[in-house]
Amino acid sequence: MKRYEMIVIGAGPAGLSAACVAAEAGMDVVVFDENQRPGGQLFKQIHKFFGSREHQAGIRGVKIGENLLESAKNAGVKVVLGATVLGIYKNKELAVRFGGAVHNYKADAVVIAAGASENMMTFDGWTKPGVMGAGAAQTLMNLHGVRPGKRVLTVGSGNVGLVVSFQLLQAGCDVVAIIDAAPRIGGYGVHAAKLARMGIPFHTSHTIVKALGGDFVDGAVIAETDEAFAPKPGTEKNLDVDTICIAVGLSPMSRLADNAGCDIVYDGAKGGYVPLLSDEGETSLSGIFCAGDVCGIEEASSAMIQGKIAAAAAARDLGYLSGEDFIQKTGEYKDSLKKIRSGMFGPESKGRADIARTDEGYPLSRSLLQRGFIADDEVTGFPSIAHGGGTRAVIECTQNIPCDPCQDICPQGCIEVGENITSLPALTGNKECIGCGLCVGVCSGQAIFLINDDFEAGYGTVGLPYEFLPLPEKGAVGRALDRSGKEICDAVVVETVNSKAMGKTPMLVMKVPTASLAGARFFRADADGARKGG
Amino acid sequence: MPVIVREKAEKPFVPKPDDDLLVCRCEEVTKGDIREAVHAGLRTFGEVKRYSRVGMGLCQGQTCQRLVRHIIASELGIAIDGVGRVKGRAPMEPVIMKELALSRRDSKGVDDYAE
Repeated sequence: MKRYEMIVIGAGPAGLSAACVAAEAGMDVVVFDENQRPGGQLFKQIHKFFGSREHQAGIRGVKIGENLLESAKNAGVKVVLGATVLGIYKNKELAVRFGGAVHNYKADAVVIAAGASENMMTFDGWTKPGVMGAGAAQTLMNLHGVRPGKRVLTVGSGNVGLVVSFQLLQAGCDVVAIIDAAPRIGGYGVHAAKLARMGIPFHTSHTIVKALGGDFVDGAVIAETDEAFAPKPGTEKNLDVDTICIAVGLSPMSRLADNAGCDIVYDGAKGGYVPLLSDEGETSLSGIFCAGDVCGIEEASSAMIQGKIAAAAAARDLGYLSGEDFIQKTGEYKDSLKKIRSGMFGPESKGRADIARTDEGYPLSRSLLQRGFIADDEVTGFPSIAHGGGTRAVIECTQNIPCDPCQDICPQGCIEVGENITSLPALTGNKECIGCGLCVGVCSGQAIFLINDDFEAGYGTVGLPYEFLPLPEKGAVGRALDRSGKEICDAVVVETVNSKAMGKTPMLVMKVPTASLAGARFFRADADGARKGG
Repeated sequence: MPVIVREKAEKPFVPKPDDDLLVCRCEEVTKGDIREAVHAGLRTFGEVKRYSRVGMGLCQGQTCQRLVRHIIASELGIAIDGVGRVKGRAPMEPVIMKELALSRRDSKGVDDYAE
C-alpha cells in the first residue's frame, strides 16, 4: 500500500497551513479535499480579517487563500481535489474516493481538518427554494457570481450573519431585516454598525415563524421570542422577502475523527461533538491530529495556527523537527493563537451576556448590542471618539476585539492600540493627523472616519469607508445618513481616496454642514446624483 | 456505557400541530415521526435513526442530526448531550457500487492519477 508521511484531510485554512509546515520540514504530504476548489471557505471571505500583522489582519480572506495555495505549491504539497476520505481505519489507513474509484493509502501522520457544517433550523416552509444557509448564499455570490435573491431576511446576528448580510448588500440585494432570537446582537459591533448605518433594521429577541409562498419564498413571518426563545403569539409581523438566509451557527464535522476511533466529547461551547485533543492538537490516537473548526468553531485565523501546531508536532514525532526547533516554532504559534483568541468574543467569553464594560472600564454601548449602532449619547465616552479641531480620525471601535492594523498603518503614529491587541484604539493626541485616510481603508471593521471641521465656513468633511460600486465621483450629490441609517442632511462628495495600501476599501469624503459632522456616517447618492458626477 | 431502559410510554401519543414538519429531507422523516419513535420507547439518536431512517440519506445527517437531537431531548426533557450521536462510520457518504468494486489496495501515488 502506498504510504505518505502525512495525509491531510481538507484543503481549507487549517489543512493547507498544516501541509505547508510539514512539507517545509521535509515531509511527503498529500492533501485530500472533496471540493472542486481548494481553500475551504477562504475564497468566499471577501472581507478583511481581524487580528495583528502576524494573522494577516486587514487582508481579505480570498487573498489569504491565494497566498496559502502559493506557499503550498512552493513547498511541494500535493492537493487532490474531488477526493472524499470515506474512512480512517486501524494503523492510519485511509480509503479515499477520487477519479471514479476508491484508493487506499497509509499515513504516518493524519491531520483531520474537515471544517464545519452549517446549522439549519426548522420552521413552517423551511424547505422552500429561497431558504438557504448563509454559507450557501455566500457561495452563490462570491464563487459563482449569482445573486441569491432580491430581498433578503437574515436569521442570526453572529459574525457570519452580519458579514454575509453586508456582502448581500454589496452584491446589490436589499437586506430587509436581520433577526436574532437572543436579546442582543451576537457578532462584532463594528460589523453590525456597517449595516445599521445603511438603514438595515435589527430585530433582537425575534425568530422566524414561517416562510410564505407556494413553490418558492415570497414572504416571511417573524415574531418576538420569550425567554425560552419560543415565538410569542400575537407578535407576528410579515416581511416582504424572497430569500431567507439562515446563519444560526456551525457544527464541527468530527465524524471522521469519530470513525477513526478518537475519543469524542460533547461541548456545546465548541458547537457540538468534538475530538478530545492535546494542546498540540493530537487526538487520543497517536499520530492522528485535528485542526480548525473540526476541533470547535472559531475563525480561519485560529484554524491556520492550529494547523501549523499540529503539523509541527507530527514533524517532531517523525524526526523532521528537533525538540528545540519544535518548542521555538510552536511557542510563536501558541502566542499568536492566544492573541487571536483574546477579547470579549474569544472562545472563553463567547456567548457571555454579563460583560457590561470594556477591559478599560468604559460602559459598552447597549444600543450597539440591540440596534447595531452606538447611540448619540453613548458616543462621547470612548478614547478615540474625542472631539476637537482640524483633521482627525474618529475611531468607533468600542468592543475589545483582537485587531490592531490601524496602529501599524498610521504614518504619523496618531493611533495607539498597544501591546494587547484587544485594547480599544486611542488617539495619542500629540501627533498631527495628515488626513491620508489609510486608517479608514485598513480598518477591518470599517469603523474609522476622518473628520475635518475646517473645510469651509459652516461646512466640514467626513471621510468614510465605502466598499460599494459604482464609487460615487467627486461632485456627486446625495444625503448623509447617521449611524442608524437615517438621512440627516444633504451631502456632496468632494474627494475619493483609493490608494493601494487601503486594500480596495476606498475612502469617500463628503461635505456636510458643521452641525452634522458628529452624526453623518454614510453617504447615499441621489438616484441621479451618482451619474451626474463631477 | 449507560444502561438504557426502554419502556413504551404509558400515556397515549399526543399529536402536535407541527408534526408534519419535515426534519430529515433526504429520507423524508417528519418531526411527528421522530416524536412517535421516542414515544415508542427509543431514547438515543442511534436508536431513532435505526427506527426511522433519519440521517441515513445522502447528507448522512449533516443537516438534520442537530435538529433531531433537539427534538429527542425536548421530548424526553433531558439535556442535549444525553441524546448521543451517530457513530461516524465508513463510508462517510453514499458510494456507488462500481466505485467500491474498483477499490484497490495497490493504488499508486496520487501523482499517477493526476489529470
